[in-house]
Amino acid sequence: MIALEFPEINSILRWKDLFPTFNKIALIAVLAAVISITIFMLALRQDHRQAPKGIRNLAEVIVEFIEDGVVMQTMGKEGLPWTPFLMTMFLFIYLCNVPGIIPFFQMPATARMAVPLFLALMVWVIYNVVGIKHQGVLGYFKSTLFPPGVPKALYILVTPIEFISAIIVRPFSLAVRLFANMMAGHILLVTFALLSEALFQAKDKILIPVGILPFFMLIFLTSFEVLVAFLQAYIFAMLTAVYIGGAAHPEH
Amino acid sequence: MEAIARLTSELIDPNSTDVLAAGKNAAAAASAGYAYGLAAIGPGIGIGYLVGKSVEAMARQPEAAGMVRTTMFLGIAFTEALALIGFVVFILLKFA
Amino acid sequence: MPTVIVTQSSGHVVQVRLVAGVTTETTSAKAAVKAAPNPIAPETKEIAWAAGSFIVLLVVMRYFLFPKLKKGMDDRYASVRSDSEGADRVRADANADVAEYEKALAAVRAEAAGRVDAARQTVDNERNAQLAQVNGRIAAARADADQKNAAAREAAQGDVASAVATVASRVAEIALGKAPDASVVSAAVASAMEGSRS
Repeated sequence: MIALEFPEINSILRWKDLFPTFNKIALIAVLAAVISITIFMLALRQDHRQAPKGIRNLAEVIVEFIEDGVVMQTMGKEGLPWTPFLMTMFLFIYLCNVPGIIPFFQMPATARMAVPLFLALMVWVIYNVVGIKHQGVLGYFKSTLFPPGVPKALYILVTPIEFISAIIVRPFSLAVRLFANMMAGHILLVTFALLSEALFQAKDKILIPVGILPFFMLIFLTSFEVLVAFLQAYIFAMLTAVYIGGAAHPEH
Repeated sequence: MEAIARLTSELIDPNSTDVLAAGKNAAAAASAGYAYGLAAIGPGIGIGYLVGKSVEAMARQPEAAGMVRTTMFLGIAFTEALALIGFVVFILLKFA
Repeated sequence: MPTVIVTQSSGHVVQVRLVAGVTTETTSAKAAVKAAPNPIAPETKEIAWAAGSFIVLLVVMRYFLFPKLKKGMDDRYASVRSDSEGADRVRADANADVAEYEKALAAVRAEAAGRVDAARQTVDNERNAQLAQVNGRIAAARADADQKNAAAREAAQGDVASAVATVASRVAEIALGKAPDASVVSAAVASAMEGSRS
């Protein structure tokens, strides 16, 4: 039989420094920023009066996707100034997710807690600031902690729940959702890759054809991760929009 | 966890801490599986129900399909978070 | 000689204890090796790099790239919209022309129909008038003939009655020997003629 030992978890999640403090995660994050900027720079070099094609088309599709699919669906027209922020967030997360399935990278940057944690904390700060700015300190806390339309006696129950939900659970679940999704995908890919490798190299010749099964599973999971990478970036941007919209206009 | 470790290390002969740590690791590894399995039940049911209802809604009103899909993804994201927290607990128990 | 053993877990000092002997040193060293950093714990350097690149990207997008791209898109949409509005206007003009032409056509048609109707009316009137005139003439001729007829019959009846009265009075004179009263004879003749006629 084969002896399959799962590697130490840190060996598949933590990476050596390429140069001091700069490891693979940092490389992916920097590349994500550079690639986004490059796409938009190239798009801007085209004549804007012509019908867009090629890379400009890509950039405009991204902008319109964020406008129609994220901002208009959650915040409405007054949320349109948030489009560049949400688009940056979407692009950055997507380009951090997608290296999980690109050969030689094989590591989503968001599978380390650092990236989602930073983004979620930033979103938390932003929606609280927006809420305070739009409704004032008292108004914001009143509309968050004492939602209207609730019988007075229930506030004993509702207020602590709302406080925990808005102040603690939201950023935590935002970060954990992205992080855990990407890490789970990464570990699944590692598992099936190791399993098919071990089966293909088994001493027992009978086991070699069996290695096809985990290999197909690996291919299926890779294509599934393509979807997950997009979906998680979309959901992160969407929830950000929902939180900001809810803080700016609590009546919706 | 750390408090328990400190307490036990003060109460028990220091030579036996290795055995104790091994026992703790085994218990953590065993409970890690239960943690994730139990955490997956509720969200599994929830997401199934949610997507089923969304498909029903889309079939009834295909012109509202876009809105239903958006809301469905949001709902899935909220429901899924519970299962993912279970997964994080699994990782914490198993490897931390 | 007492030694201090410090066990670290993910960079934080977890426990510090004083141990009498040196026997535990090897095991705790092993434990320190085993206590690898938590796979979930975020690393400061990764946060720093991610935050740095995100903020650079955000600033560049927000203040340079996005407004330019959006402006280009809006310009193009505006030109497309104005083009399509121009096309719409031309189409509306053409539609108005067509409507005007149709209105004129309808007016002309209505006028023609009115004239035809008027002509028909005139012809009808003339015909009716002539008809009425002819009918009137026929009616007058018939009335004339009827009158003449009636007069002739009256005359004939009067002749017959006088002849009968003469005959009757003569017969009565012969039979009775004296001439009867003329008024009685004429009344009897009249009643007899009435009875025979009815």
